[in-house]
Amino acid sequence: MLKYSISTIFVLLIGFSAVAQNDSIANDSIRYAQKYGLRLGGDLSKIAKTVIDDDYTGFEINADYRLSKNLFVAGEIGTEEKTTSNTYLNATAKGSYFKGGIDYNMYKNWLNMENMIYAGFRVGASTFSQTINSYTIYTIDQSWPQNTVTDGTKHSGLNAIWTELIFGLKAELINNVYIGFNVQLKGRITEKEPNNFENLFIPGFGRTYDSGRFGIGFGYNISYLVPIYKKTKKAPAEE
Amino acid sequence: MLYFWKNDKSITDIKLINLLFSFYAEPHKLKMNYLKLKSFPLFIVTLVLLGCEKDDICAESTPTTPRLIIRFYDNINQESTKTVTDVVAYGLNEDNTVVILNNQFVATTDSLILPLQTDKNSTRIVLHKDYSIDDNGTPDTNDDIVLGNPDVITISYEREDVYVSRACGYKTVFNNISFSLENDSDNWILGSEIAPNTNVTNETSAHVKIFH
Repeated sequence: MLKYSISTIFVLLIGFSAVAQNDSIANDSIRYAQKYGLRLGGDLSKIAKTVIDDDYTGFEINADYRLSKNLFVAGEIGTEEKTTSNTYLNATAKGSYFKGGIDYNMYKNWLNMENMIYAGFRVGASTFSQTINSYTIYTIDQSWPQNTVTDGTKHSGLNAIWTELIFGLKAELINNVYIGFNVQLKGRITEKEPNNFENLFIPGFGRTYDSGRFGIGFGYNISYLVPIYKKTKKAPAEE
Repeated sequence: MLYFWKNDKSITDIKLINLLFSFYAEPHKLKMNYLKLKSFPLFIVTLVLLGCEKDDICAESTPTTPRLIIRFYDNINQESTKTVTDVVAYGLNEDNTVVILNNQFVATTDSLILPLQTDKNSTRIVLHKDYSIDDNGTPDTNDDIVLGNPDVITISYEREDVYVSRACGYKTVFNNISFSLENDSDNWILGSEIAPNTNVTNETSAHVKIFH
């Protein structure tokens, strides 16, 4: 599923980029003005998943602010609600999160383009609750009737702190409007777990895995750059 | 337009990103830091593999709801085990209807492993000794007579649901089990012993001793 999502998004990105190539500029001047400002946006994948997936509701606002030629401070804030359901368990996690960190642009733009291929780092924190809707006692021997317990216990006041490595790209679609894709590799540092249960899903972090503290995520963002000032960059010397 | 690729034969994994940002780039201006970006596809492969992790299936080796283990001992020499001849166990509902238990067959054995009810605080089980069927010499089952000596036992307990994992959900453990025998004119079970505060939390050793 994830594989298909990624390839679909790449195809979409290529399509959008192709549209964005109309404004080709053959500018041979040595200096280009670079826009500095606050870029504000939202995660389209969370909105799409909210529409498609009945068990999911999510919303995220993200922002970055350019500090220098390649360095940005960046952050995300959002809410997520996710129901995890299988044969034996049905539980809903709900809460909000905040992530802050830096993005470093590794891509050398030509001319006056301001696209990014970046790597970044985040620290994320989430507060949330988990409600056990129902569970069915797991028995290997099913001679007696299965016992399904409609529990409804809500574990509130849960929290988690994690770090993320983020890799992504951002392309300027039209003037000041950017579209981007990123993937996140996450590792939990601490978490408060409910008694006699575990954190199956952490808003902002995503689902957890039995194997340990790592998790993954991806985002597909659209954002608008509010230009605050401009700074020139030197063009690379011609060979 | 695409000819600049040919100048970069050694670089393959960067083509997509080139395509993304540089449709109109002239080849002599193409200057990128390739090395930094080579790890990007590897990163995506790692993520895809992580996404396929199979912890949504409850592994058979995971300890889940434990069953009750009964061990049969000699009533005279209570230290030594003693087999029960042709014994079979089956469940009994409150209205005395029989519940066939999986994997319970007529056998001569000194131990039984029995499932307990996870939705009630007690389980009734018939331990039927010397089980055999007299078919009256006819192949039909209407006039069959079941021979042997059935004794009805009741295991009572306090249930506790314990979280196992995402895939297995919860299991039930049975605390403070107690044992009772329904008296009939011909009980083959002569006595029982349960250590105080015995909890059925695993299947590693016997929980109940029955003397006969």
